[in-house]
This record gives sequence, C-alpha cells and structure tokens, in this order.
Amino acid sequence: MAQGKDGDRAREEFLAESQELIETLSRDLLLLDSALKLGHRNPETVNDLFRGVHTLKGLSGMFGFDALGRMSHVLEDLLENLRLGRIEMSQQVLDVLFEGVESFQRLLSEPGDAAACDLESFTERVHSLARAKSATHNVLSDYELDPNMLGVLTEYEEHRLRTNLEQGLTVFRLRVRLALDVIDTALDQLKERVKNFAEIITYLPSMDGGGGDSIEIEMLLATKKPESELRAALNRPEASLSAVLRRRLADPQPSAATKQSPVAQAAAPTAATPSLPVRSDQSLVKRATPDVEVSLRSLTSVVRVDIRKLDHLMNVVGELGTVRAALARLVERLRAGAPHALGSEAHRIHRAFQRHLAEVQDGVLDIRMVPLSQLFDKVAVILRQVAREQRKEVRLVITGAETEVDKLIAEELADPMMHIVRNAVDHGIEPTDLRGQVGKSVAATLTVNAYQKGNHVVIELSDDGRGIDPHVIREAAVRKGLLTEQAAGDLSREELLNVIFMPGFSTARAVTDISGRGVGMDVVKTNITRLGGAVDIESEISVGTKVTITLPITLAIISALLFEVRGRLFAIPLAVVQEALRLPGTALRNVDGREVVTLRGTTLPLCRLAQLFRLQDTRQAAHENFVIVITVGNRRLGLCVERLCGQQDIVIKGLGRSLTQVQGISGATDLGDQQLVLVLDAASIIEEVLLARANPLVLGAAS
Amino acid sequence: MSVGQARARRSDLPSRLARVEETGVREFLAFVLASETYALPLSCVREIMRVPTVTAVPRAPVEVLGIISVRGQVTTLMDLRQKLQVEPAPIGSRTRILLVDQGDEILGLLCDRVLQVHRLSETEVEMASVLGSDASSYVMGIGRPGQRKLEAAREAKRRPAAGDEEILILLDPIALLKRQAYG
Repeated sequence: MAQGKDGDRAREEFLAESQELIETLSRDLLLLDSALKLGHRNPETVNDLFRGVHTLKGLSGMFGFDALGRMSHVLEDLLENLRLGRIEMSQQVLDVLFEGVESFQRLLSEPGDAAACDLESFTERVHSLARAKSATHNVLSDYELDPNMLGVLTEYEEHRLRTNLEQGLTVFRLRVRLALDVIDTALDQLKERVKNFAEIITYLPSMDGGGGDSIEIEMLLATKKPESELRAALNRPEASLSAVLRRRLADPQPSAATKQSPVAQAAAPTAATPSLPVRSDQSLVKRATPDVEVSLRSLTSVVRVDIRKLDHLMNVVGELGTVRAALARLVERLRAGAPHALGSEAHRIHRAFQRHLAEVQDGVLDIRMVPLSQLFDKVAVILRQVAREQRKEVRLVITGAETEVDKLIAEELADPMMHIVRNAVDHGIEPTDLRGQVGKSVAATLTVNAYQKGNHVVIELSDDGRGIDPHVIREAAVRKGLLTEQAAGDLSREELLNVIFMPGFSTARAVTDISGRGVGMDVVKTNITRLGGAVDIESEISVGTKVTITLPITLAIISALLFEVRGRLFAIPLAVVQEALRLPGTALRNVDGREVVTLRGTTLPLCRLAQLFRLQDTRQAAHENFVIVITVGNRRLGLCVERLCGQQDIVIKGLGRSLTQVQGISGATDLGDQQLVLVLDAASIIEEVLLARANPLVLGAAS
Repeated sequence: MSVGQARARRSDLPSRLARVEETGVREFLAFVLASETYALPLSCVREIMRVPTVTAVPRAPVEVLGIISVRGQVTTLMDLRQKLQVEPAPIGSRTRILLVDQGDEILGLLCDRVLQVHRLSETEVEMASVLGSDASSYVMGIGRPGQRKLEAAREAKRRPAAGDEEILILLDPIALLKRQAYG
C-alpha cells in the first residue's frame, strides 16, 4: 500500500514538473515567434527549448509515458538540427514546434495509444523539414581562421561561428596567459567579464603551449562592439586581441582545411600542452554540459507545493483568526473588570498576537499568489493557433502581466480566457481583406490589460474588430426562442449585449472548432461568477469589443461587513461594498415596479433582503434603516438591512453538497462562538435582482 | 476532510455492510422520533452530539433545518419529520444530532432521543417487503430485537417481558438522505 502511495506521489510530482516544463516550452516558443517576426534567431532560446525537451524525455521515460517519450525524442532531434543550423528557423518549423508542445499537453493528460497515430504523422513532418534544409554556403572559408582551430570546433561551435559571421558580427581571437594554480577561477572571471560584451564561441588551450606554471588560453569571441570597448572590458593589458579578417578574394582558400576531420584534430590541444593538469583538462573538455547544471541549480530555491496543503494552512490561519477574535472579547472583559495592570498586559499580548497573525496570514496569501503572466502565456499560444487557423493576422499586446492573483483563480480563468480570445478572433476580428477595405490595418490588435483595483483584479480584453450589433443579438435571441419579441424589444443596449452570456446563444452562421456552438460565453460567465467575479461587455460597431473581467484577488480570507435582517446576522464581502448609508424614508421612489433611491444624482435600485430571502418577521418593528451599496462589475444595487454590525476578517466555508443549489449565498463563516453566519454572494444577488427581466430562465425559477 | 478521505470512506461503506451481513449479525443505532423507534446502521453514524446554534438557510429545501458548525466544518442539519410524516416537537434536553455519512457528505440528523445499539441477527430482521410493494425505498426492513428472548420465553412457557416486542424501523441512510431535486 505504502509503495503505491509513494508511486502516486512520485507520479503527481512528475505530472506537476512536466506541466511546468511544458509551460516553459510554450513561453520559449512564443519568444522565438516574436523574435522571428523581427528577423532575429535567438540561439539561447533554442538551447533552452532543447534542454527542456531533453529533460521531459528523461522524465517521461522514467514514468512510463512512452508516447510522450517518443514525441520528445522526435522534437529533440528537430531542435538539435535547429541549434546546429542544419535547419533554418521559419514559421513552418515554429508551427511544428508549437504542434509538438501542444501534443505534449495532450499526451500528459491522456497517455493512451490514441495519440500514437498523431506521432507518426508528426514524425513524418519533422523529417520532411529536415530534408528540406537548404544547402548553405560555407562562410568560414571567407575568413582568415586558423584551420587547426576550426578543426577542433564542435558542430555547434562551428554553427555559432558561421551564424555570427553571416550576421556581420566581428569575431575576435583572444589569447591570454593564465597561471595554472588559479586557472579555474581566473577562467571563470574572464568568461564573466567577456559575457556581457561578446558571445564566447569557444575557448581552448593555445596550440603554442605554455610555460611550466601557466597556460595560454585562446578564445573566439563574436561581438558588435568595437575592439577598444572589448579590450576595456577584459581589463587584461597583456592579452592579445585580434579581429578575424575577411580574406581578400584573390587569396585562394584550400577549402579542405576547414573540413578536416575533427576526430583527427581533437587530440592536438592536449598533446601540445603536456603540462596541463588532468582535472583542469576535463573542466575544459566538458564545457558542453555546465550550463545545464547551472539551470538545475537555479531551480532549487523554488519549492513546489500542492495547493491543497496551502488551503489547509489557510484554514488553520482562519481558525486562528476566530480564536483571536474570541481573545479580543476576553481582553475587553478583563480590562473592564480586572486590576488595571493585568488588563493592559493582556491587551499588549493580544496586540502582539494580532500583529504576528496578520503577518502569517499575509505570508500564506502571498505564497498562493502567481503572476497573471502564466495565464497570459497560454492566451498567447491559443491566439496564435486560432489566428493561423482563421488566416487572420492578430497582434497581441499585453500589459500588467505582473499583476498577481490567487493560484486557484489563475487556474479557473484559463478556460474563460480561451473562450473570449477564440470569440474575438472568430467573430470579432474581420477577415484580413475586409479590414483593408474598411481602412483598418491588416493586422488586428488584441489588447490584454490587467491591473489591480482595490481588492480586485481587473482583466480587460479588447479587440479592434467589427464590434457587436445589438440588433443582430436581438434577432438571434428571438430566433432561438431565448427571448420573446416583446422582452427583447424592452431591453436596453447594455442588457442586449449581455444576452450573449445566456446559455444556448450564438450568432455564428458557421460553426467553427470551438466557438459558434453556443457554448462558451455562458460558460465564461458561470466560471467567473463562481469565483466571485463579474464579466462585462462593451462594444461599438466597427470599432471593437471589450470584455472586462473583475475578480477578487483571493478567495481565502476576506474582510466582510456584518449586518442584520429580521434579527438574523449575515456577512457580505467588504470588497463588493461601495458604501453603507442610512436610508432616508422619504427618498424612496417606485420606478417600473422596483424601489429605487436617488444617491448623489444617480438612481440606485434597491433590494429588500427580507423579501428576497422570504424571512419571516420575528420582530414586529423591523425597519430597514440602512442601505448597503454593493457593486459588481459596473452594476450597483442597494441592499436594505436593519442594522450594521461592523466588519471582521472571515474565512468563507462552502455549504455542503446538499445546499449547493441555494442561490445568493456563497458560504458560511464561523465567527468564533460556534455560530455560523451566512455570507452573501453579491454577484449572484445582483444577477438575480437586476437581470431577472433580461433572463427568462431566472424569471421562471423565481416565480 | 480531504477529497481522498471522502472517497475512501464512500467506497468502503457498502463493503463494511457486506462484511457484517456475512456473519449474520448487524449493528444498528436506535433512536426515537415522535412516537416511533427508528434505527440506522451503526457503521454510517459518525458521531452523536448535542444541538448547537442552528443557522437557518433561506431558500433551502424544506427538510433542511439549517447549518451547524461541527469543529469548524459547515454541516447541513436535516429534519426527517416531513419525510417520515411525524409531528413536529420542540428541541428538548434529550434532543440529539446524529452525524450520518450519506456517501458524499456528512449530514446532521435531528432526533428526539438516542436509545442504544442493537445487534440484530438475520432472524431478527424482516425484509421491507412485508410492508407491501409500496413501502418507501428508505425503509430497509423491520427489526425485532426481542425476537430471541421472546422465543426463549415461549419455550420456557414464561410471559414475555415488557419491551421484548419492541420493533425498530430500519432506515437506509443513502436512500433516506438522497438529495431531492429542487429549483
């Protein structure tokens, strides 16, 4: 049993690690994609990809994910060819890479044989890429390079040398003498200095050998910087630095020299430097691997933790919070009754406890926070894929990717974001030729902007497409029987736009892969509402559409406002409370069957909670004296309550499965006296009260 | 409780019942609701507790009395009176809550009084079919804990002692607490 459990745990670790690797791979691919568009090659990123795929291959082998292993092997070959310059980077190659990384994801979630046929066709495509490689002109023969040195270059080094020369960088040959007893540190120091100014293509012990206690190292450096700057960076006046010059065309080049067998030459440096100690020798020869080790080491400061463990910790912290509240009450009693000294000491201890508890709370919350960039990377991959499917050109502009949200929220947001992006490309953005005709730039722009606003995170996704026509929505909604002609006619422009979030709504004539089936936008709405957030849509015909998602930063501990209705205590997250004010009895108006009050010149619709919840009158003289103004997204609602009872930090606990269908309540909280207080779900109450007319489904349920 | 624990608990519930069935003796916890005595398989009863403060939940199904805090865990409290068609009674000093594992959720069950655990052999259990084909699905059968003593008394030609003719209405917790669709 224990064995199996350990196996499960190891497997979970593997899944988590692979997931991370795959996410990094997609991020690297996106980097390559944008670099390629600017005409850059980005060799370091290709190396990163290669290492990532290599690691994945090893991992999947260990855990018996054979298909995943074979897939990584194929991709690894392709990347090897890329980094050695046997294949040129191109959009086609990138497509294959993206496809490969996407299948990783699939293979990881369903490691069956179903994907095996995919693998074959994929392998075929990779091979055809390899065959299609262009014959390259060997630039090396144009330069005055020492054939002896060329002979000992690895294939990768030779490729880097060639590429740098092709791109017009200057290659310098550096010779420097280092003392043998400090060779390791001196060499590292030298590399460190040079690194910021030039790419080190290779370094070797010089062919000329060295004296008894020192050795001459020869480096090939590629840089755009002038010689003087490089020399200054080196800070070694005794070193000799000379640029590798282009041969004069007249100078005949025996091309055979560059193509001498590396094997035959490989022994040369060691033979020529007999005084070199073995250990140092190895550290020079093994130089292909150290960077892999470095990248592994840098990962060790990060600990991967199951989110459920954090949930548990969060719960405990929450319980401590209620203990603290009880303690506070005790301290108050003590200060009222006991001798002064005792009371103030208890007070002091309580203050210290409170401070540290707040720190622990912040700490745990902070651990759960992840930057939205994780999510936005996924968006970028989807966007690229959908845009290519639809043959549309879409530029993605992301701002605020560093904004942090709870890990759980980031996870839950992935699907809604995917649907929104798909919808934007499918329906929002016009076909390329049409954009030209209406005078828009051919490449559309999708802007993703995230920022923090109080206790909320706002994510805006806007496109510069054709916008949504409310008339089209009205027609479609009536045609599909979602609304009656009359009901549709009564809706405001804003209400009509929100109809697209109704289940079963879709205006698309043709059904595309995902969007167009009438699933999607209602799922978006459901998922976001479940997280305690709101989604809003604004659109202007032929200008574009903007979807705004508003979410709480965290789900764990929240500040809440406590209030009483009909003698019962309720809580509502403070984050949705705009203000609470005394209800002036005379200010009430009745508009279209709904009570409203004018608040600083704007109309605020009211909801009597006692009525909504059908609470019986336990006290005859119950007067709803206060209004709590709640806002979710851009909607406002005033809740009429009898008494405000202050604010408190609470941990929301979900109701049991038997009560999941109860609307308007998101959970309950224990205030520390074993009594549970219900926490209102502001989003669903606003939805129920304000959109009841727009949504016949809600109307039907309520009547 | 973690998801894993809940799952483990759900899956071993029927098997535990089956094991007891093999030996022919099953344990039931008897309790009183209004004038009748009911019993639930002991294996599904997690805990017996006094009634804490109950928080009513607006718009919850009628059989839900409200929610209670069981060591920080929010637990739904059910009242079986409507389902079992017995008159309401006020919460008294002997009123208790049975925490019952319904399969995917632990639910609180209000009862007027908890009696005792009965070990019933096969001969002491009548199948629900004796009540006719329209018997509710949540009635597993009728328990007659005094049956053996009754037979012994008959053999010895004694008068049966009071209480020997007691009957228990055996309830199936899963069918009894099944969620009803409501909108």
